[in-house]
Amino acid sequence: MTRPSILLTTEATYPYAVGGVSSWCHLVVGGLPEFAWYVLPIHAGGRRPRQLFELPAHASLAGRIEVWGEQLPRRRWIRDRLRGGRPSLPAELVRALIGWRPDHEELLDALVWCRRHPGELRATFRSVQAWRPFVQALREVLDERHPELAAPPELDTVDAARLYQQLYWVARTAAAPTPRVDLLHTTAAGWAAVPAIVHRELHGTPLLLTEHGVYVREAYLAAARSRASAAERFLATRLGRGLCLAAYASADVISPVTGANAHWERKLGVPPERIRVIHNGIEPSGELTAAPRVGKVVTVGRIDPLKDVQTMLHVAAEVTRQLPAARFEYWGPPTKGQEAYAQACEELHRRLGLGDRFRFMGTTAEPLAVMRDADVVLMTSISEGLPMAVLEAMAQGRPVVATGVGGVPEVLRGCGIVVPSGDVARLATGVATLLRNPVFAERLGRRAYARVRERYTQRRCVEGYRTLLAELTDHDLAAAA
Amino acid sequence: MRPALSSERAGGLVHARLGRPAQDLLEAVVVLEAWGGVPSESALALDGVAPPRSAAPSPAPARPIEREDEQREGIVAEGIALLVAIIAVAAWAGPLSRQLGTAALEHALHVALPLTVALQWMLRSRYLGRRGGVRQLAEERVAVLLLTLGVGGALIAIPGAGPLVALFVLIWVGGAVLARRGWGLGYAALVAGAAAALASGAPAQASLAALGAIVAAACVLAVASSGGPVEEAPGRIGRALMAGAIGGLIGGLLIGDSSLGWGVHGAFPGLALAPSVIGSLWGGYHLWQFHAAVPRGLRGVPLALASDAIPRGPAAQILIGALARLIGITTLLSLAVIAAGRWTDGTDHLGLFVAFGSAALLSLFVSLHESLGYARWALLVAAVSLAVELALDRWVLAPPPGLALSTAGAVGTLLAVAPLVRQLRSPGRMLATALWIK
Repeated sequence: MTRPSILLTTEATYPYAVGGVSSWCHLVVGGLPEFAWYVLPIHAGGRRPRQLFELPAHASLAGRIEVWGEQLPRRRWIRDRLRGGRPSLPAELVRALIGWRPDHEELLDALVWCRRHPGELRATFRSVQAWRPFVQALREVLDERHPELAAPPELDTVDAARLYQQLYWVARTAAAPTPRVDLLHTTAAGWAAVPAIVHRELHGTPLLLTEHGVYVREAYLAAARSRASAAERFLATRLGRGLCLAAYASADVISPVTGANAHWERKLGVPPERIRVIHNGIEPSGELTAAPRVGKVVTVGRIDPLKDVQTMLHVAAEVTRQLPAARFEYWGPPTKGQEAYAQACEELHRRLGLGDRFRFMGTTAEPLAVMRDADVVLMTSISEGLPMAVLEAMAQGRPVVATGVGGVPEVLRGCGIVVPSGDVARLATGVATLLRNPVFAERLGRRAYARVRERYTQRRCVEGYRTLLAELTDHDLAAAA
Repeated sequence: MRPALSSERAGGLVHARLGRPAQDLLEAVVVLEAWGGVPSESALALDGVAPPRSAAPSPAPARPIEREDEQREGIVAEGIALLVAIIAVAAWAGPLSRQLGTAALEHALHVALPLTVALQWMLRSRYLGRRGGVRQLAEERVAVLLLTLGVGGALIAIPGAGPLVALFVLIWVGGAVLARRGWGLGYAALVAGAAAALASGAPAQASLAALGAIVAAACVLAVASSGGPVEEAPGRIGRALMAGAIGGLIGGLLIGDSSLGWGVHGAFPGLALAPSVIGSLWGGYHLWQFHAAVPRGLRGVPLALASDAIPRGPAAQILIGALARLIGITTLLSLAVIAAGRWTDGTDHLGLFVAFGSAALLSLFVSLHESLGYARWALLVAAVSLAVELALDRWVLAPPPGLALSTAGAVGTLLAVAPLVRQLRSPGRMLATALWIK
């Protein structure tokens, strides 16, 4: 019996970067050898990325899609020259991806054309005939009226040219070849979904979308945090939204890693019957160890504005004011590109006079051991999907104080302290309460451990996907066994 | 959790956090969840947090356009190396001609000049014209070394002047690498030292071999000691080969007119070339702003005018500025060299200066075409120009010095200008369709 084949499309993650999504990919791909996996990563151009995950024997790379690079698409010299390209393509993509009420059929038609004519894309976008209709279509999009929309920002010529360039890369992504498979599985409702959407339209192959963070939410969050102009924010979020809606419209099943994502998906028009939540999983510790009871509060995560480290520093200042013996440790490096934020955090650390009471510890290869040595695990993020750091703490039986973002409230229900994001007083109260009441803290930790064993194990996660993938590929699990 | 928010309070929270109204409902929901402590389910259920349509988003500073100073430094450094190479030709020509024979020197220059220009264009396209170019060269050192050995071996095998050709190419191309590494002054000192040695009667081949060995060692050191991360990939091989072909044709123009007298008229063709090289350097330096200045100039041009023709737009202004610098400095310096030529022999023929100036003009346009992605047109223009030059050189009897090159440069310039005018008239379109679609 031949194994059903699955094409897994990723975006700036597996197998080239470490992180939650990559770990999840590795877990699912490695845990389901009854399927033949093909991985198609998308990465930004520049350097050829180093592969950080070794693929298992039943998985292989199906090429890679490099965006923003200089490489040209494959080209059939004679045939592509005889055709004249499609000068209306940029305008169609603007309407279908940037418009507030996009026409999915128009988008599919345009993207399928890109796949069928990869050698004509560069000529199409370099054509002098393509620019004027594109500008006209963009102006029509800006003139759209809807109760959910504010007045659009003033766009200038450079904003338009930048969008034009981005749409060229969307087209190039759509043009990338994909192998014939039984199922398409995409890991984000953004660029990674584009080749899968085209493949589904061409071959009718079912498409499964797993959302770790909600793509559109992250696009808006990144734009809100950036120093970009109103026009740049507008275009970045609209493109993110357009790609996300396209992925939602094409996906046969969407499997968010937390119910919190499902709220967004439903709000953005996905019928509830197409949503199947499959939680991330972790291996719980074999046996629980007692907390050290030394007043140690630990955080594991990157130093990144999304983790709101500055709020954490204020929390530490408040807690150590109440409990001078308390000690905070932050394990994790700055995110690449966020070195300035890390410096600002260190500056705030100095201003608050925290000294040794709060220490940035750098990278750890043993996050579980770090958590085991803690009395309380603290997380102050302003955005999360289903954070592995919280699951890891729970798997070690440690109580968690966390902000109620993304899937955190769902995971910590009844076994942790959840407070609103940015609320220093409540976060500090939560931490201080647990440090003052070790018995209560231990009880919360045990509950958390039990909850992980019940609902968030790796086995459960992999089994969830095994069942869903078999269903989508018409694979008879019993016969295969 | 906090008690449920009213829509009004939610809208106020969003405004307070962003310092402006939300651009749409989704942004409001994201802000409420991230910074307002409102769970996504509740935030998504809120109505009325989207701002009224009359509320225009507050202006934010435009994103600064990336500067390309490092690349500009690279092109300047490369130009200095080229200039030094030309002066070296001028200074070495007399002693080399005396020691090796005029025919051998002429033959060597005829092969080495176009090959040098070709290799310099190729290296610039793939490595040296990019951020961290020398480090990229270091990363591909094995391939580069093999290519160098292959080219060197092939050149040495050329009957007659083979070793001399190989030394010329090594010294001049190596100069471009050293200049890009920031060691241009050291390179200039080496070449000047060699010129002094030759002038004082040192053996020609041994002197050049010593210089070649030092330049080669310096290149290895320059590449090996270039540290730091390499964020940008080298250019496409196909594009580098195309650039090399265009450079080869431009270099061919320099030797295709036999009336210029390379190797025959001693130092003079080299000295006559110097004004146009300096003019090109200045013009090219100005033109190098093109990729940054065009978007900078178009910032604030409303979308409604994005497709319109702007005859005096930023692109046209940069090009006109570059042309003015090239023509102005070439003319002035040519007059200066002609004036000085009273005391020398053979430099004062105006045709020689016009020819080199014409070639510099053509080179500027061809290079602009290549950088805009119209490499095939650039190649065609260079090829047609060379064909015109060779035809005139062969069929016009006793032409005045430089006639063939001047005519070829003029024909090529006309061919190059026509499509450029169309592009430059609509700078918005050019930015989107040519500059940013590579």
